[in-house]
Amino acid sequence: MMNRSDHDLSCEEALGILEPYLDGELPAAEATRLRGHLERCAACAAELELAGKIQRELRSLPQLDCPPEVLERVRGSGRGEVVPFPSRRFRTGIRIAAAAAALALAVGGGALFLHIQQASDRPSPEEVAQATRQARLALAYVGKVTRRAGLDVRDDVLVKRLVAPATESVSRSLDGRRSEKEF
Amino acid sequence: MLTAFEDSAQRYRRQVYSFARYLLSNREEAEDVTQEVLLRLWRHRSGVDEERLGPWLLRVTRNACYDLLRKRRSDNAVRAPGDGFDAEMQHAASAEPDPQARAEAADFRRRLLAALADLEEPYKSVVILREVQGLPHREIGEALGVPEVTVRVHLHRGRRKLRERLREVSR
Repeated sequence: MMNRSDHDLSCEEALGILEPYLDGELPAAEATRLRGHLERCAACAAELELAGKIQRELRSLPQLDCPPEVLERVRGSGRGEVVPFPSRRFRTGIRIAAAAAALALAVGGGALFLHIQQASDRPSPEEVAQATRQARLALAYVGKVTRRAGLDVRDDVLVKRLVAPATESVSRSLDGRRSEKEF
Repeated sequence: MLTAFEDSAQRYRRQVYSFARYLLSNREEAEDVTQEVLLRLWRHRSGVDEERLGPWLLRVTRNACYDLLRKRRSDNAVRAPGDGFDAEMQHAASAEPDPQARAEAADFRRRLLAALADLEEPYKSVVILREVQGLPHREIGEALGVPEVTVRVHLHRGRRKLRERLREVSR
């Protein structure tokens, strides 16, 4: 590195303006002073060469193209479909199995509720509360594992495809039981 | 709504994916992030001004990448940077006619990509957006939520760090 003189830039000053010089943003007079310094200072000249090489290399890196299936999955989500994320695919099967198990538990809770009703015309409030709590916990768990699985499911889709059918199923069972009693 | 979404998604998906890919150095995670960002675009398209859409998407992309990087750290997951990344890059770097010059160019690019992958934030984002994606300082500032002068400072520091790392390796 060179020592500063009255007519020359110091190395520190030169290094401070290398990038504006490379970017073509340095005023002409300053660019001339820098070139003068670089002719006499091999270390700063080497620094400029490395900076230029890095810049050229970075600017020649390709813009990478997004696989078309990514956009297709987003369109699918817009249509209300369940959307798996690429890096979470391997976990999705396990999570869906867990969700199915939780759903089975929810249905089981409903069945227990009906069984209690059949066993006695007036189930105790504790029994009703327990069955209800169990079903709610299971449904909450379904939501949790679905989120953990990285599945993007809109609330209205969840209501339409999971909650509504389950509610309808329980209602039908209750209606059937009522009809049986009336008959 | 579909047409507006399609127009924007077609226009920006490459920029979003490329930014995520260089930030994360991982193909699957970059696909995850792109999907997440485009889903947000689908939901919030009407709430974002056309002029601010590009910077908004880049900001959402950067935040989603940060979330993934944080998760990586908390999971202690070690992902090899560049699953298939190097092959794509080396293919692009192989324009040199002389075999030795080609090998040297490929080696330099490999080292540069490794140095870029290791660069800390916010320098990495700024270097990618400026040098790889060619965005003006003003747009980078809008995307990252910082003044233009801060973008210039971060760019200067990021470039200097890259030079230091590449110089160390060369010794």
